[in-house]
Amino acid sequence: MTKIVVAVKYVPDATADRKFESDDTVDRENVDGLLSELDEYAVEQALQIVEEGEGEVTVLTVGPDDAADAVRKALQMGADAGVHVNDEAIAGSDAIATSLVLAKAIEKLEYDLVMFGMASTDGSMGIVPTLVAERLGLPAVTYGSEITVDGSTVTIRRDGDAASETVTAEGKVVVSVTDQTGEPRYPSFKGIMAAKKKPVDEWSLADLGVDAAQVGLDASGTQVESTAPRPPRTAGEIVTDEGDGGTKLAEFLASKKFI
Amino acid sequence: MTAAFTESEERLALRKAVADLGRKYGQEYFDTAFKEGRKTTELWAEAGKLGYLGVAVPEEYGGGGGEIGDLAAVCEELAAAGCPLLLMVVSPAIVGTIIAQYGTEEQKQRWLPGLADGTSTYAFSITEPDAGSNSHNIVTTGYRTEDGWRLKGTKTYISGVDEADAVLVVARLEDARTGKLKPALFLVPTDAEGFTYNEIDMGITSPEKQFTLFFDDVLVPKDALIGSEDAGLEQLFAGLNPERIMASSFATGTARLALEKATAYAKERQVWKAPIGAHQAVAHPLAQTHIEIEMARLMTQKAAALYAAGDHMAAGEAANMAKYAAGEVVCAAVDRAIQTLGGNGLAHEYGLVQMLAGSRLSRIAPVSREMILNFVAQFSLGLPKSY
Ligand SMILES: Cc1cc2nc3c(=O)[nH]c(=O)nc-3n(C[C@H](O)[C@H](O)[C@H](O)COP(=O)(O)OP(=O)(O)OC[C@H]3O[C@@H](n4cnc5c(N)ncnc54)[C@H](O)[C@@H]3O)c2cc1C
Repeated sequence: MTKIVVAVKYVPDATADRKFESDDTVDRENVDGLLSELDEYAVEQALQIVEEGEGEVTVLTVGPDDAADAVRKALQMGADAGVHVNDEAIAGSDAIATSLVLAKAIEKLEYDLVMFGMASTDGSMGIVPTLVAERLGLPAVTYGSEITVDGSTVTIRRDGDAASETVTAEGKVVVSVTDQTGEPRYPSFKGIMAAKKKPVDEWSLADLGVDAAQVGLDASGTQVESTAPRPPRTAGEIVTDEGDGGTKLAEFLASKKFI
Repeated sequence: MTAAFTESEERLALRKAVADLGRKYGQEYFDTAFKEGRKTTELWAEAGKLGYLGVAVPEEYGGGGGEIGDLAAVCEELAAAGCPLLLMVVSPAIVGTIIAQYGTEEQKQRWLPGLADGTSTYAFSITEPDAGSNSHNIVTTGYRTEDGWRLKGTKTYISGVDEADAVLVVARLEDARTGKLKPALFLVPTDAEGFTYNEIDMGITSPEKQFTLFFDDVLVPKDALIGSEDAGLEQLFAGLNPERIMASSFATGTARLALEKATAYAKERQVWKAPIGAHQAVAHPLAQTHIEIEMARLMTQKAAALYAAGDHMAAGEAANMAKYAAGEVVCAAVDRAIQTLGGNGLAHEYGLVQMLAGSRLSRIAPVSREMILNFVAQFSLGLPKSY
C-alpha cells in the first residue's frame, strides 16, 4: 500500500496571452489556467505506481479558487482525493513561502511518497521539491526520468548530458519527475464521471497552523522588480546571393557569435 | 431539459479532454492518412480505449452510460481539431442506438461491447441507387429460409464498409416488398459469402470512403435480424435523431476549425496599414460565421437534451433544424475562410481547400437541406405536403 501525495500547480495556459498584474505578480485571474503540463507527468507516474501495486494518490494544490480545476483534472486522470489550500494571504508567495504551505499541508496527510513535476511551466525555477523536502526533513531525489518503487525503496534514473545516474532512497522521499517519464494519460470518460464523486478538502492557512505573516508577497524573500513583455519577433534578414552568399551567411553567423 | 443554457461540468470536461486528444493528432494526421491511403486507426483506437466512442452505450455493455449529447461533443471536438470522423455518426450513434434500444439481450451482449471500446465498427446502409431522399423506394429484400434469411439487393454511398466488421442493412421483408416502407434491419458481417463492395471515387479529403454494396443471396442466421420484424419504422427512426444530432456536430466542429484558421490569419496578414481583420469586409463575415456556428451548436444541444429527456417528437424537430443550420454554416464558414486567406485559401498548406468538398456533404447527407425544409414546412408550419 503506497500512499502518494502529488503536488500540482495551476498555471496560466502557456499557449494563451500571458500577462502580469500591476504589482508584477503573474495575472492568474484573467487568463485561462490549467494543471501545469509538467505536473501531469508526476500524476501519471503516481497513478502507474499505485496501479502496479496498491495505494492511493492524493493531489495537493496551493492556489486561488480556480486552482480547483487543476485538482479536478488530476482526479479525472484517476487520482483518489484532492486537497486545495486556498487563502487570500497566500497570493504573491515566492517559492520559499509556497514550500512552507505545501510542507505544512503534506504533514497533515498520510503519505509514503511525495511527488512533483520537474518545474512549473510559469515560474520554472524547479526548486520547490527540494525546498519542501528540506522542510519535511526528507531526502529529495529529483529530475527522475524513470521511477520505480519496490516496497519502501524508491529508485530513479537521472539522465545527465554525459551519463545517467541511478539514485536510490529508502523510506519517505520527495521525488520530482521529468517529461521523459512517459506521456500522461488523457482523462477517460469514466474518469471524468467518477471525478465528481471524489473528495476534495479545502484548507485555509489557519487549518495548517501557518501564520499569514509568513507568506504572501510581503513575506517573500524575492521580489520581482519589473516585468516586460517579450519583444515581438522581428523580420528575419534575407541574404540575396550575388555570388557572395556564403560569405554573407558566415558574416551574419559571426556577428551573432555562432561561429 | 434543464433550465440552464450551458452544458454540465462533466460535458465540458469531456470536450476539453477530447480536444486535447484531437490536438495530438490534428488535421495533418488526418490529411496524411488520406494521402497515404491509410485509416485513422490510431486515433479511433485511442478514442475508443478512453471511452470516448462508447460514451452513449449503456454501462452494462461496456459503455460510459452517457447521453447522445456526450457523443456529439466528442464528434464536434475531434472535427474542430481537424479529425472529422464520419464513422462516429454511423457506428456508435446510429447502429449503437438501434441495437441498444431494440436488440435482444443476446444481440446487445454480442455487438455493443466492441462498439463501446472502438474495437468493432459497424456501417449503416439505407441509401440505394433509386432510393436516396425517398427511402420508401428501397428494394433490398430479406427472404425467409429454413434457418435464417437470404438477402438480395444493392446499396450505394455507404461509408466505411472497408473498415467495418458488419453492416446494418435496411431492407424489406418478402411479404412487404412494395408500398410504404416497413423496414427490417439486418446486421451482416462484411465477410459474409455473396457480399461484395466497390469503392466510389469521391472528391472528399477523408480517409473514410464510400462504397456500392451488392448482396447476392447473402445467407445470414435468424438472429441477424435486429430487434423484431414488426417494430419496423419505429426501430429505424430510433437511429435517425442521433444521426442528425451527430451530423450537426460533425459540421459545427468543421466550421469552428475553418473560422479559427480564418481568424488567426486575419489578425496576422497585413496588406495595407493594418492587419486585414481591420477591414470590416473581412471581419463581418467572420463575426457572422461565429454567430451562426453558436446558433447551430445551441440548437444541436437542445435537440440532444430533448432526446435525453425522452421527448422524441420535439427532439426530431430540433435535430432537423440543427442539421439544417449546421449544414449551412459549415458551407459558409469554409467559403468565407477561403476568401479570407486569398490565394493561400486554396493552398493545401493552409488546410482549408481540403475541407471544401467535405463541407458540402453536410448539406446533402444524411438528409438533404431540401428534405429538411419540406419537413419543417409540413410539420412545423402545417403547409401542404409538396411531394
Ligand atoms: C459522403 C457521403 C456519405 C454517405 N454515407 C452514407 C451511409 O453511410 N449510409 C447511407 O445509407 N447513405 C449514405 N450516404 C447517402 C446519403 O444519405 C444520400 O446521398 C442522401 O440521403 C441524398 O440522397 P441522394 O444522394 O440519392 O439524392 P436524391 O434523393 O437523388 O436528391 C437529389 C437532390 O434532389 C433534392 N430533392 C429530392 N427530393 C426532393 C423533394 N421532394 N423536394 C425538394 N427537393 C428534393 C435533394 O434535396 C437533392 O438536392 C452518403 C452520402 C455521401 C455523399
